[in-house]
Amino acid sequence: MASVTMRGVRKDYGPLNILRDIDLDVADQEFITLVGPSGCGKSTLLRMIAGLETISGGDISIGSDRVNDMPPMHRDVAMVFQSYALYPHMTVAGNISFGLRLRRVVAEKIAVAVASAAAVLNLGQLLERRPGQLSGGQRQRVAMGRAMVRNPRLFLFDEPLSNLDAKLRVQMRAEIKALHRRLGSTSIYVTHDQVEAMTMADRIIVMNQGCIEQQGTPETLYDRPASLFVAGFIGSPSMNLIPGTLQNGRLVLADGATLPFPASAAQEGQAVTLGIRPEHIRPQPGGLAADVVDVEPTGVDTLILCRFSGVQVIASVRDRFRALPGTPIALAFDEDKLHAFDTATGKTLRQ
Amino acid sequence: MKGHQRLRWERALDSEAIWPLMAGFGALYLAFFVGYPVIYNLIMSVQQVTLGNISTVFRPFVGLDNYRKLVDDPLFATVFQNTLIFVTGNVALQFLGGLALALFFQAAFPGAAFFRGMILAGWILPPLVIGAVWKWLLASDNGVINYALRGLGIVSGPIYWLSDPATSLIGVTFANVWFGVPFNMILLAAGLAGLPQDMYEAAALDGAGPVRRFFALTLPMLQPTIYALLALTTIYTMRAFDLIWTMTHGGPVDSSNIFPVWSYHLSFELFDFGGGAAVSTMMLVVVFIVALIYVRSVRTERVS
Repeated sequence: MASVTMRGVRKDYGPLNILRDIDLDVADQEFITLVGPSGCGKSTLLRMIAGLETISGGDISIGSDRVNDMPPMHRDVAMVFQSYALYPHMTVAGNISFGLRLRRVVAEKIAVAVASAAAVLNLGQLLERRPGQLSGGQRQRVAMGRAMVRNPRLFLFDEPLSNLDAKLRVQMRAEIKALHRRLGSTSIYVTHDQVEAMTMADRIIVMNQGCIEQQGTPETLYDRPASLFVAGFIGSPSMNLIPGTLQNGRLVLADGATLPFPASAAQEGQAVTLGIRPEHIRPQPGGLAADVVDVEPTGVDTLILCRFSGVQVIASVRDRFRALPGTPIALAFDEDKLHAFDTATGKTLRQ
Repeated sequence: MKGHQRLRWERALDSEAIWPLMAGFGALYLAFFVGYPVIYNLIMSVQQVTLGNISTVFRPFVGLDNYRKLVDDPLFATVFQNTLIFVTGNVALQFLGGLALALFFQAAFPGAAFFRGMILAGWILPPLVIGAVWKWLLASDNGVINYALRGLGIVSGPIYWLSDPATSLIGVTFANVWFGVPFNMILLAAGLAGLPQDMYEAAALDGAGPVRRFFALTLPMLQPTIYALLALTTIYTMRAFDLIWTMTHGGPVDSSNIFPVWSYHLSFELFDFGGGAAVSTMMLVVVFIVALIYVRSVRTERVS
């Protein structure tokens, strides 16, 4: 088990700057997720921790070792790949035990380790099969087993669930969490799926364009997004973002209509953006006049797409709701759940 | 009308009922260009063929006399041994050289593609040209190789590479290895390119160094390619003729004589056409067995 420290980590591909000045601390036994849109550098950062990519600048330490120039084989980390990266010519048992055999662990100990991993991951029946004969979910579990048996000081996950179907993904999500609770190993988990990030992590690192945008517990990111990017990225359906100008403490839209705006650091006349989550908008007689654009029942909630003053918002309600497109609707905003952002910088104006 | 006709044509080409036509063309081609010469050669090998009766098909039947004469010939043992050395030497060295080059060019360094292309150039040259070039390289008085060996102080006097019976087989083997290495390199490079890269990354994280990764992953994963390649190289080497003919004519005193050269020598220099045909037939049997192994290995490659 070990902590991970990154100081001013950079990655350049020629003139292209992929990661710039990443400072990040991962505590021992912590489970963090790196989340962000594709191309934000999260996988590159993970591969740099693993030693599969060179580090252009800054330092990465695992425990007390600076690992910048340490080859992957000496870092004592295990990684679960999106493609699973199993050894096609070895059996499941061979795949799981490869790392132990390389370390010349005695055969009896290997057998015990493989058997216990197989029991945890429900692979007992498959030990003599080859990867080509397994389903995606089974391969994924073999990849997990291969990482587990070595008992590494750090687990790295590179979008391990993105090739699985939705049901299996939910199941494996729980299994990975349970595994982490049992082994207590420090884990860094990369995903582009914010639901995965929210449900699994002790702490989420949101990345955007090679920088850390915000980090914190899932609740912090959801309740107090530091920027428009995080506000839009975390949460599904995402936060409604309504741009306008601040006048007399209210948001003025293009056509002169006004909306409530929270107390903030914004100046009078400043271009600001109002953020409100769909669950904080509800239909209420006497409220803001709008038209229904569409209604999407999800089973649990019903999403109501509405339009007013050239702005489209989504409201999410618990109760069943039916209306034809074009029906007038009156909306009310929860005024203590509003978010204020500076439109120009994208940063929060929360005081 | 025209469009309608073309539609019918295309439907006919797409239909399964056209198979006898397709198979017919294939069979006709094989029968004419492969079956006919092979069978004709087989017939000649059990006949007494002279310059006088070469133009007829019905010649005196002599049974296995031609074969018996060959095996009793004191030259048979020499040619057999030479062929064995030439073929095993070529297969082993071409494979090792090709593998080394394929692994070398896997590293992406500036100019890698260019240099790989230059190495391939050796393979597209006619064997006749390669033979001539190597003859000059190995020339005893003013050859580059002797010059280099002497310059480096490895030998004191010139080595008579192609005119000394002790070294002529080594000389032609080198030349043929040089000729065959690019082909081995391409097939192995293609095999290497097909191996999943992430598997190597996983192995590196599992604690495998480069040497270990080669023996635990690369070699077993390349196995089908390697079997196919060894079979192909064996077949190609057993047919080597023009290169040796250019360099040594199989000499001096048959020291670099192998079966194809012997066959040519019998047929077209001694006009013992039956003997030459018998040598060809024996070679055909060996090549056929190797080809069978090749076909089998290709089939398992497709299955796995």
